[in-house]
Amino acid sequence: MKRHSGFTLIEIILSLALTALLLSLLSGGMYAVMNDWESNTDALDERLDETITILQIERALKGAFPHSYRDNSSLGRFVYFQGDDETLGWVSTVSPQRAGGLMAWQLESRSGEGVFLKLVPALSDNPEQRFDDIEATVLLPNYEAEFSYLYEELDFSKEWRDEWIGEEQNALPLAVHILLTPIDADDTRSINIVANIAANTHRDIRPSLSSDSGTPTPTRNTPFGGL
Amino acid sequence: MISAHAKQTGFTLLEVIVALTITGMVLGGLFTLATGSKQLAFRSGTSLGTAIEARAAINFALLQDEYSNVEEILESSEFDIRGNDILEPVPRKTEAITFALQQFEVIDERTENIVSGTRWIRLELAE
Repeated sequence: MKRHSGFTLIEIILSLALTALLLSLLSGGMYAVMNDWESNTDALDERLDETITILQIERALKGAFPHSYRDNSSLGRFVYFQGDDETLGWVSTVSPQRAGGLMAWQLESRSGEGVFLKLVPALSDNPEQRFDDIEATVLLPNYEAEFSYLYEELDFSKEWRDEWIGEEQNALPLAVHILLTPIDADDTRSINIVANIAANTHRDIRPSLSSDSGTPTPTRNTPFGGL
Repeated sequence: MISAHAKQTGFTLLEVIVALTITGMVLGGLFTLATGSKQLAFRSGTSLGTAIEARAAINFALLQDEYSNVEEILESSEFDIRGNDILEPVPRKTEAITFALQQFEVIDERTENIVSGTRWIRLELAE
C-alpha cells in the first residue's frame, strides 16, 4: 500500500512559488501605502512648521518696540526699523529664545532660496552692524517674501509703502504686511501676514528720542490717551 | 483504505477561503485606516492655511473701518469684512472722545463661518 507521508517536490515548489508571488504582491502594496503615508505626514509636518513660523513672525512684529540707538557719527538718536521690500529689521519685545530683553530681528528674502532670519540682542548701538557678523538661518525655505509698511498721512488716510527707514521716520509703521509667495511656480497658494504694531496704540510707549534735550514727547491720540 | 484517506489531514477548500477572507479583511481595514488618515492630514493642512488666512483678515479688520481709509492689501481674500453697529458710549463721560467701539464680523465666504470681534474706530466728529 502506497503511503502519502509527505509532499512531492513539485507540490513544494508550486506552493513556494505561490507564496512568494503572494508575498511580493503584498509587500509591493505595503511599500506603496507606506510611501504615500510618509509623504503625507511629511507634508503635514512641513505645513505645521510653516504655520508656527508664520505665527511667530506675526507675534514678533506685533510686539515691535520703538528701540532707539545713538549714532556715533551724527550723535543723533534714531529708532531702529529698517524695512524695504526684501529685508526687514526691527526690535521686538518677543524673543524666540528664553532669554529676556529686547531682540533685534532681521528677515531677509533671497530670490529662489527662501526667507532667512538673523537675531541679535538689542543693545544701545545700531544692530545693523552686528547683523553682518552672524550667519542667517533659513526660516521658510519654500517662500519668497515681500514686505510693505502702513503709513498714516496727515489726513488720516493710510497707505502701504514698500520702504520704511527708521532714521527718517523715527517711528514705527502702523502695521506690516508680508506677502509670502511660493518659490515653486506650480503652487499658487500665497500667504498674507498682517501684523498691527501694538506699541502704536499705547499711550506711554514712545521712542526715547528727546531724552537728551529734555523736551517732552507729545502724547499720541489713541483710544486710551485721554484716560 | 478508508482509514488511510482519513489520515490525509490537509486544509479543506472552505478553511483556506475563510483564512484568506479574514486576512483580506484585516489588510483592507489597515489600508482604509491609512487612506482615512491621509485625508485627515490633507484636511488639517488646508485648515491650517485657512486659519492663517483668517488671522490676516482679522488683523486687517482691526486696521480698516469706514472712517480710516486703509489701502486694500489682501489680494484674493476669501474673507468678507463687515462692520456692524457702534456700541453705545458710556453715559458718564467727562470729555469729548473721538473713539468708539464697533462690532465687526469676518465672514468666510466658502463655509459661511463668522468670526466676530470689536475694534476701536476713530470717528470724524467727537461725541
